[in-house]
Amino acid sequence: MRVLDAGTTAAAAPAGAAPRVRRRSFSRWLRSAEARHQAWGYLFLAPMFLLLLVFKFIPMFQALYLSLTSYDLLSPPRFVGLRNYADLLVDPLFHQSVAVTVYYVFGTAVFIWVLALAAALVFNAPLPGRNFLRTVYFLPAIVPVVVYAVIWLFMFHPYGLANAALHDLGLRPLQWLADRRAAMPGLILAALWRFVPYFMIIYLAGLQNIPNEYYEAAAIDGAAGRQVFRYVTLPLLRPTVLLVIVLSIIFMSKVFTNVLIMTGGGPGGATRVLSLFIYQTGFQYFKMGLASAASMFLLFGTMVFTLLQLRIFRDDARG
Amino acid sequence: MPAGKRAGLVTWIGVLLVAAWGLVQMAPILWMVSTSLKPLNQVFALPVQWLPHPPEWANYPDAWNQFPFGRYFANSFIVSLSVTVLNVVLAGMAGYSLAKYHYFGQRALFIAILSTLMLPIEVLMVPTFIIAKDLGWLNSYQGLIIPVAADAFGVFLMRQYMLSLPDSLVEAARIDGAGELGTYFRIVVPLTWPAVLTLAILTWRETWDAFVWPYLIITDDALRTIPIGLERFESQYVTTYNSVMAISTIAMVPMVLLFFFFQRAFIRGIALSGLKD
Repeated sequence: MRVLDAGTTAAAAPAGAAPRVRRRSFSRWLRSAEARHQAWGYLFLAPMFLLLLVFKFIPMFQALYLSLTSYDLLSPPRFVGLRNYADLLVDPLFHQSVAVTVYYVFGTAVFIWVLALAAALVFNAPLPGRNFLRTVYFLPAIVPVVVYAVIWLFMFHPYGLANAALHDLGLRPLQWLADRRAAMPGLILAALWRFVPYFMIIYLAGLQNIPNEYYEAAAIDGAAGRQVFRYVTLPLLRPTVLLVIVLSIIFMSKVFTNVLIMTGGGPGGATRVLSLFIYQTGFQYFKMGLASAASMFLLFGTMVFTLLQLRIFRDDARG
Repeated sequence: MPAGKRAGLVTWIGVLLVAAWGLVQMAPILWMVSTSLKPLNQVFALPVQWLPHPPEWANYPDAWNQFPFGRYFANSFIVSLSVTVLNVVLAGMAGYSLAKYHYFGQRALFIAILSTLMLPIEVLMVPTFIIAKDLGWLNSYQGLIIPVAADAFGVFLMRQYMLSLPDSLVEAARIDGAGELGTYFRIVVPLTWPAVLTLAILTWRETWDAFVWPYLIITDDALRTIPIGLERFESQYVTTYNSVMAISTIAMVPMVLLFFFFQRAFIRGIALSGLKD
């Protein structure tokens, strides 16, 4: 399509532009304003494109290639066909890792959808001191990721604040990150602390885009609070809700640093998410091929959700 | 009027709920700061002591002097600044090219560039590590900077922004004989300031906070950035909670300051950052 565009631009270009390109006059075209225009276009794009070529495109294909090899960084990669994939499909640790990832991603995302919306609805109301409170509320989202992990590691210390709170509520203390069953809920709790405010901001932007006339019309029709929410707010917020759903899933599947620092994947692999599985396979056991094959599964999952997200963005832009 | 009264009550319940929840949200951060000022034997004292008296200010210099944190901060600064400048400049040029030029293969190139956004770092970490190793960039500033600056999000952002600038502006500058470079740097760049600021803050934040990549390629202590230094400190002094919390508090301060100064750009960036990893 752009090829045609380029042709029409040539025709419409100001004085000095070459006439329509013919093979015989190619050398003349090369000296024309149109050729210079195109050359400058490539020149402006080239530096960033080269960077992306070396650090994104080539690694992408290399990951695909490495997933078909056995490679330990010392001796050259040895082609093994689909054996890494076959190994993963019967590897109980990989199965566990996939299950743990799904648990983490959806265990966090579902709460985010609801809690962030509730928080946004509250902050959208004209409360006194709202801006100050919003800033305070948002702080967890901007804490550096390592600090976030260290804080929560400390929170979940056997004598930490989490257990102190349980104690005050008259409940029995938990071993949290050292307990097979409590470790993942602990990680999810920490993630909610950080990410609910983040998604609240996205919801708030959506809420503030709803024109006031709709609410005024609903008030004239005598709609009560819950009805307004059900029949005015929610339908008009639909694009934002979709965006939050897809974004939260993509975000949560990018988990790594917090798990590495807080549990290292333990206890007994109960929190070994896929990214950690890939890291350990590649950089601790030096099975780069197997790690690459596992990463292909992750890529596939992320790709599906990213394509969904791009669709939502496009529909959004259209109207 | 009962309806008005009810709305007032609901508002106040809302305020109370939000304030209470705000306190819960703040509790971990407040606990971190208060722990950083306690003597070690009072860290887990119950009931929780929120205001340590007297505060042990000496915890801060004590913790700071255990590790070369000044060096780590300098490294984080150098890396974040370089990545931000490199990414913003190159992304601006690429975005300009995609928005204001027409050439063969432009659409395909744009789609190819966009597609790199969906690559998670976990997929790239093994092959990019191997490339950095082959280039001899392990344990080097260029290894910390250049692969990170290769990010397509800015290209997308700048292209969208530049599409909204009128073509006539660019053409008028060209006709006035500004030349291609002059048109870009003197006419277009000054108009893209809001997009540049948003991109710069997003990039700075992500680079300052980056953990995985420096963790993979840096083993030389003199090249560690703040997140790596903090992680090392935490794993080595895991039981001296007050020191760990003091360093964590210090590490948090630059981000909080950045947020307070650039709140609007920060928040604007959030709605956009969905495309970025």
